[in-house]
Amino acid sequence: MKKINRTWIIGAIATLLIILIPTIYFLPESDKRSDDPWQNIPLHPVHTDHTAILEDRGPFETGSDVTRACLECHENSASEMMATAHWTWESEPYDIEGRDEPVTIGKKNQINNFCIGVQGNWSSCTSCHAGYGWDSADFDFENEENVDCLVCHDTTGTYVKSTAGNPAEGTDLMDVAKNIGIPGRENCGGCHFKGGGGNAVKHGDLDETLYYPPDNVDVHMGEHDFLCTDCHRTEAHLVSGRSISVSLDSKNQIACTDCHSEELHEDERINVHLSSVACQTCHIPSAATRDATKMYWDWSTAGNDDIEESTHEYLKIKGSFVYEDDFVPEYRWYNGTADRYLLGDEMNPEEITAINMPLGDIDDETAKIFPFKVHRGKQPYDTVYNYFLQPKTVGEGGFWTEFDWDLALRLGSEITGMEYSGEYDFAPTEMFWPTTHMVTSADEALTCGYCHGEGESRMDWEALGYYGDPIDWGGRFSAKR
Amino acid sequence: MKLINNKSKQSRLKITSILFVAALLIIGVAATGQTALAEKSAQGGPDEGSPLHPSFPMLDEDGENVLDTGNPISTMQTCGSCHDTEFIEEHSYHANAGFDDMVAAGETPTERDWDTSPGFFGTWNPIAYRYLSPAGDEYPDLTTPEWIQAFGGRHPGGGPAVYSQTGVKLTELAYSVDSFETNIVDPETGELVKWDWQESGIVEMNCFLCHTPAPNNDARKEALHDGAFQWANTATLLGSGIVSEANGEFTWNETAFNEDKELSAEFVTLQDPEDNNCGLCHGLVHDNVEDPLVMDGCSPERWTTITTGQIISSQRLSVSGMNLADKENLARSWDVHAERQLECTDCHYALNNPLYYQEGSATRPDHLLFDPRRLELGEYLEQPLHQFARGDSAQSMVSPNVKGTMRGCADCHDADAAHDWLPYADRHMSAVSCETCHIPKLYSSANQQYDWTVIDIEGNAQTQCRGSEGEVGVNSLLVGYEPILLPREDANGTKTLVPHNLITTWFWIYGEDERPVPQRDLELAYLQDAEYAPEVLEAFDANSDGLLDDSELIIDTEAKDSLIKERLSALGFDNPRIAGEIQPYSIHHDVATSDWATRDCQTCHSEDTRLTQELQLSGYVPIGTKAEFVPGSNVIFNGEIYEDENGAIFYKPAPDAENLYILGADSVKWIDAVGLWSFILVVLGVLGHGGLRVYAASKNGVHEVKVEKVYMYSVYERFWHWMQTAAIVLLLFTGMIIHNPDSYVLFSFSGVVITHNVLATILAVNAALSLFYHLVSGEIKQYIPRPRGFFDQTFTQATFYINGIFKGEEHPFEKSAKKKLNPLQQITYFGILNVLLPLQGITGILIWGAERWPPLSAALGGLPFLAPFHTLIAWLFGSFIVMHVYLTTTGHTPLAGINSMINGWDDVEVHEHTEK
Repeated sequence: MKKINRTWIIGAIATLLIILIPTIYFLPESDKRSDDPWQNIPLHPVHTDHTAILEDRGPFETGSDVTRACLECHENSASEMMATAHWTWESEPYDIEGRDEPVTIGKKNQINNFCIGVQGNWSSCTSCHAGYGWDSADFDFENEENVDCLVCHDTTGTYVKSTAGNPAEGTDLMDVAKNIGIPGRENCGGCHFKGGGGNAVKHGDLDETLYYPPDNVDVHMGEHDFLCTDCHRTEAHLVSGRSISVSLDSKNQIACTDCHSEELHEDERINVHLSSVACQTCHIPSAATRDATKMYWDWSTAGNDDIEESTHEYLKIKGSFVYEDDFVPEYRWYNGTADRYLLGDEMNPEEITAINMPLGDIDDETAKIFPFKVHRGKQPYDTVYNYFLQPKTVGEGGFWTEFDWDLALRLGSEITGMEYSGEYDFAPTEMFWPTTHMVTSADEALTCGYCHGEGESRMDWEALGYYGDPIDWGGRFSAKR
Repeated sequence: MKLINNKSKQSRLKITSILFVAALLIIGVAATGQTALAEKSAQGGPDEGSPLHPSFPMLDEDGENVLDTGNPISTMQTCGSCHDTEFIEEHSYHANAGFDDMVAAGETPTERDWDTSPGFFGTWNPIAYRYLSPAGDEYPDLTTPEWIQAFGGRHPGGGPAVYSQTGVKLTELAYSVDSFETNIVDPETGELVKWDWQESGIVEMNCFLCHTPAPNNDARKEALHDGAFQWANTATLLGSGIVSEANGEFTWNETAFNEDKELSAEFVTLQDPEDNNCGLCHGLVHDNVEDPLVMDGCSPERWTTITTGQIISSQRLSVSGMNLADKENLARSWDVHAERQLECTDCHYALNNPLYYQEGSATRPDHLLFDPRRLELGEYLEQPLHQFARGDSAQSMVSPNVKGTMRGCADCHDADAAHDWLPYADRHMSAVSCETCHIPKLYSSANQQYDWTVIDIEGNAQTQCRGSEGEVGVNSLLVGYEPILLPREDANGTKTLVPHNLITTWFWIYGEDERPVPQRDLELAYLQDAEYAPEVLEAFDANSDGLLDDSELIIDTEAKDSLIKERLSALGFDNPRIAGEIQPYSIHHDVATSDWATRDCQTCHSEDTRLTQELQLSGYVPIGTKAEFVPGSNVIFNGEIYEDENGAIFYKPAPDAENLYILGADSVKWIDAVGLWSFILVVLGVLGHGGLRVYAASKNGVHEVKVEKVYMYSVYERFWHWMQTAAIVLLLFTGMIIHNPDSYVLFSFSGVVITHNVLATILAVNAALSLFYHLVSGEIKQYIPRPRGFFDQTFTQATFYINGIFKGEEHPFEKSAKKKLNPLQQITYFGILNVLLPLQGITGILIWGAERWPPLSAALGGLPFLAPFHTLIAWLFGSFIVMHVYLTTTGHTPLAGINSMINGWDDVEVHEHTEK
């Protein structure tokens, strides 16, 4: 009987296999795209409730009191954090082509074409420094107690930083400390959405709409409810991500392809674009879709009492502005790195000086066409030495109180250690801000006609190095070119 | 501009003529220049001319420079100095408009008594209503000059706008008091009055309309409407800076000309026609993707858009400015070819254009993929055919010799490469056009009905649209519509289902030789002093509010009907009566990519299949009339018109009449009925028989029989049997799903179809192997009934089942390993294995073969025969299984038979009597 059973089982299995194998073999394949970006998203661990832990460690009078309490358990946290740019505001030294010595760049020592520079203006600028007390060149970067844990870990929304990065008057530090958690949108956004001195001013793709963005403003943070740190993955307090406004290389950069598979478009015609066009180009059709961002800042008109003040057009302390919203970015070749104007570099006042020109061109196979918000403006330079100057704007003798350019530039130059001839004027500059946040859903991506064909094109093909529209002339890897 | 693309392709193909390449290069540069130019001219006046086209003097019809004479420009003279304008005009169905094919009234393919040509000039379109009256009509509607005034706006000049039907130029035509070519109808009196051709001039073929970036079509139409025919082409240039107009006087601007009195280079903006040029007459074209497309709800201005809803735009629907239902989810573009930056002329090219021309497969040698020998560019530029490649649209009958010359979908797309997911791809593509799935829906509104039996206060028909809701206008909600799929026979002989719109019109005709009542007479019948005549108002104004709304303005009662009849008769019209006709409009644009195409099998393979989805023809039918399809198109109307309870009429197509049998949608009712009944009867019979057995057993007690164990079925026999069982049961199950997918929504239709085919293959292989086994082992003998005594034995066995089994008698025939089947089984299996199984196999293979060997399957009845036949046999198989399983229970114990098939050993009755 056993033998019969075995025969029967083997027979049944054989029958089953004979039917199943060919059926499964011939059944149509399901959708080939096996793109599952979710598997790359970090899990959010439940944060330990610190209420009881901190109960007996108070009272906290200063920020450093809190930091000391944190360090009792998280011994390495401060030293980890102190190794990152959030603390140093400066890069590791780079070797840059055409320069003899390695250079470091960062907020700490370089200029931009917004508020120009930190040096001499510390107490105001460093309200966004993740530390306490940076109000002069003498700030102690080695003191762990100066690290501000709360700015990134506060979950109450009541923690506000004031001059030199110190907690604002009246902040209930104990309450904040008890309610710490993993960094949320408000922690990052508190500084990054307000770059340039206010909401939406600087980036064009980072502003307070991202606190609660509609689906069509940012598909990741809106529809999919991402935190900043889901993409800006962080290990040992080192937050990933780079921007050519303060970094020159693309080390530790974030890419769409960290989560999305490279050739996920069903349409082959779109996939052949990927070797020359960045994802952002099509998937961020317009920048600053909700909140207007600053596009132009002319310092030369500042200090004039005759011009009526208006937050988005003219301020006596700052000069004239142009704001724009929902605009088409400018498109440039970009290989992830940028050139950099360094303090002291000679410039030509007759030409627009690019502070951070994106690198790459049509012959650079690693470069792709990428969208940028380009911030243009005029800022002071020394007409004798032909370099840009950094004015002291904040504090005693600063331009914002005295409205005296000569004084402000002299004081600023003393701090930066640059020669100042006493002769100054204003020269045009431009600065490139990669448009990479506020990705829209695929349904809103650009279609062919925005760049190609008879109608108006977003691309200046000839400026990009093409003979003409590649739909006719062929792309850069085409035999036709 | 596709010029450069082709240049490269050709150079890769090693064309040796350097001259040719050089010439193409020049064209290419010119073409790119034109793009820039077009953009600039859109912003303001031209500031850069064509880099290719030379300056030229503008000449009047006597060949004199217009700067000297101040006369209107003659394109035939001006462009004719270099291009063969006569050749161009002669080879242009746009200009000719059927003029060369005029016939006696009533002899056109449409069979309308008043149609005189297959083209625009002579074929009535009830949407526009007015018509060119055949010579001699008592109540003429349009004479030739009036036709130009009324319809010249959609005609590029030339042909009937230049020549008389006698071949003489209209300006040289001798006056005849009753000629419809030299007179117009006085709108007041209805009498003919002389038309002064010398004063009006004629409309030469208008090169500027299609070959300049911003032609002034409004000014052109105005000049035509005003009867200033000779100025129409000049008016097209208004706004270009070349000519200006004040108080109806045109003045040539000397500043636009150089010292040689030739047009200055920067004003020479001649170019290839762009989509916007075509769009002037053909439909809504929108080429600025950054600018939201807006169009009035159901009052679109342009022809193809009002007749079908087609819009040529590269924009996503979701970013257009249209008030579309579910708009945020409509991320597709209006037209994928526009999205991919194709232009009208990329497919509708001049037939001798050396860049596009491709010899048809009928004359091209099979081995030759590409024939590089081309017309020299110079020759082409001198004599460019203005016959443009076109498809097979039902609504267009002019110039049938160029039908189907256009590149079809398959000329550019390799459908096989993109449809590997689709089972039976070839079969699908031979039955349905690409458009069937790739134009699943039109998202705009289109006209549905024109009712000219009534007119509004402005003299317009009552119209109904499909695809929009609410009041007509920008605020109406566009819901779009799904076009109807109609079988159409194309010029190349293929017959496929193609999406269409159907427009129904109702109108008054009169006389023995039918004519529509002219619009002016309709106005006389209905209106009086720009208001409804009191009698009309009284008869129509149901709610007595002094106004006629749409629901009142319908001839839905005898009273209304006879009133209007009386009033038309009083105007002299003989036997006025209402007629209705239905015109199909083929839809080939607004194609969607695969994401938006129909991909779900059950859209068609289900009971309410998309393929027979009806389309509303009209919201009502005027009393005592019916609508008929306009004859002469290539569409096959084999469906039916039906009326719903609200009086609306619909057309439901019937693709089965075209030899299409849609699995999952179609079924033959009597076959399912016969099959089901045979199944039910068998089940009932089995239950009855079994019940009686149980009853008899309970009465007689279980009859003890002597049994002995016999090794009945070898391992292979058992394996073979159960394999076949599994295959047949699963085949029946999957077959049921395919036959009626609506009841099994959990299953993917295509997956089930494939599974069915795989199972059938397994069954066939298994059957073949077992046949081999039975033949070689000689077991086959068991299945072959022995002729001698066969009927007696069968009778004995039948008697046993009918009688003896209840009495507990012994089985009449001993079962043994050598003789497993009793005579009744032999005859049954003989039937099953030799009749049902082969028939089912053959019909199944032929259904599968509709993809592989379509002619063979078609020759043997095609799917409409094979599929129902296959279904019938499946029913019989099902019935057999029930019977077969039941009979296994007739052994000495109910499960003995099944047991033996499982373990091979059977307890066989040992009979006391010897075998006969």
